Amino acid sequence: MASSPKSNILVRIVEHKLTPYVVTAVFSFFMISPIILMLFNSFKSLAEAFIWPPTLFPVNPTLETYQRVLGSTVPLTMRNSLILSLTTTFLVLAIALPTAYALSKYPFRGSKMILLFYLASRIVPPVSLLVPFYIMLSLLRLIDTYLGLILVYIYITLPIIIWVIKGFFDEFPKDLIDSALVDGCTRLGAFFRIVLPTSAVGVAASGIITFLWSWNEFLFPMVFTTSSNVAPLTTGVFEFVGDEVIEWSSLSAVGIFASLPAIIFFIFAQKYIIAGLTKGALKL
Amino acid sequence: MKDSTFGFLVALPGTLYILALVAFPLGLLFWLSFVRFDFYSPITFVGLSNYMRVIEDRVFWIALQNTIVYTVGVTIITMLLGILMAAAVSRIRTFSTFFRTILILPWAVPLVVSGLVWRWMLDPGVGIYNYLLVSSGLIGKAINIFGEPTYAMIACILSDSWTRIPFTFILVLAGIQSIPIDLYEAARVDGANMIHSFKNITLPLSQKSILTAALFNSMFSFRTIDVIWSMTRGGPGKATYVLGIQLVDYLVMYQNLGFGAALGVLMLILVSLFTTVMIYYLLKR
Repeated sequence: MASSPKSNILVRIVEHKLTPYVVTAVFSFFMISPIILMLFNSFKSLAEAFIWPPTLFPVNPTLETYQRVLGSTVPLTMRNSLILSLTTTFLVLAIALPTAYALSKYPFRGSKMILLFYLASRIVPPVSLLVPFYIMLSLLRLIDTYLGLILVYIYITLPIIIWVIKGFFDEFPKDLIDSALVDGCTRLGAFFRIVLPTSAVGVAASGIITFLWSWNEFLFPMVFTTSSNVAPLTTGVFEFVGDEVIEWSSLSAVGIFASLPAIIFFIFAQKYIIAGLTKGALKL
Repeated sequence: MKDSTFGFLVALPGTLYILALVAFPLGLLFWLSFVRFDFYSPITFVGLSNYMRVIEDRVFWIALQNTIVYTVGVTIITMLLGILMAAAVSRIRTFSTFFRTILILPWAVPLVVSGLVWRWMLDPGVGIYNYLLVSSGLIGKAINIFGEPTYAMIACILSDSWTRIPFTFILVLAGIQSIPIDLYEAARVDGANMIHSFKNITLPLSQKSILTAALFNSMFSFRTIDVIWSMTRGGPGKATYVLGIQLVDYLVMYQNLGFGAALGVLMLILVSLFTTVMIYYLLKR
């Protein structure tokens, strides 16, 4: 294969042992820098966040912004986020686990259709259903309530979670369940005593994914809440965004709070979250 | 009890969910798009008039164009960078877990926060990027990025891509890592260099993850308003105004539920068209 000297140099650069390290390091820098800058910024005083040229490290590190944030509605919206996400996670797992078990191990007429319907329902843009959900929640008097938002969160997360959990259950050998049945276990008993404990990792991963997904939801709470008694943190971050002035350092502190759960999960349970998501996504 | 009966009963909660939270709202959406509904006056059937009014709205076409630019922009940038990162990390032996953790962390940041952080970094008055450009002499004075239509759109695309790259990276990396290593060795014996094998082995054999990631990126960026809402709210003027924001405005600002429903149906049709094409290609592989 004839190749010009110019492409030879390119090939040698690409094939060099250190090239992937350099490329990865450069990418890592750009990917992580917004988070690091946000962290640094959150320790600046209100005034320092406004000076030009901008400082990289806080000149006088202070907890001023954190005090301001704790004195605002942010603790309230953070509590709301926790309540909403935890309840949604619990309910979604309670619905998804038996459903995925049945669809994976005890298919019935129409079960394939149901699975396809879950997938197809993901194509519907949630924003398209904004108006119908608004009417449903208004008529049920569920605007600005936890329950109203939780219903919407379930609508958003459940289909994918069923696919993810089914992915884990599909790997579980049916023979093990059948031999338990021979030993006198009921089908539900086998589910609780054998299938669930062995799929604990998958269940945990699915729970974390549901939690994070609910935690990050913005559109529906923005439209369906009117008070910070119910509104989650994704709408609470706008507390420090005024029409004229944005308190950049306080905003950074809120941003850190909003990103914290996911950062913690990604550092400690990365392997399981990735396994769950790739399983669900690549099942298409 | 028969196995299939048992399966049906156990799957019942999930099935009821479909009826109550997907099928019913969908039906309601289609019905609403053909009526006049405002909570006070009696509901009247208006035929296609809601659709006509939406299509005759000049803003709809601007928003449609912006949505296409935004969706295509985010998908291309996310795919290019995600694939490059996956290719680089797949060759790394030491510290690979460390780098992988760093590269997926932007995923942890909620999209609204991502929009606000980038808005801050690009700000003409306090932003680090403007400062770096000015102090390096590349530009004379700080650019008001959010006052310039083109720059504002690019800023939104960059911010959205930043949070979407990790998912693409992870998916493509999984695809690349499932390719048997023998293939590369055989290719090398035949005289192929690394660029050849990337083109002829890596890309074709991880096609499934690449197409899946492209499907998710385009589907989600088409409908998600989080980043744009926190960055520009559609401005300056209507430069970053997308269909999703128009729908929110129909509901919240103009309280015209019929228009909102008609626009919702139009968005559903658009997204179904392009995802069907993509899923068709995906299943053909």
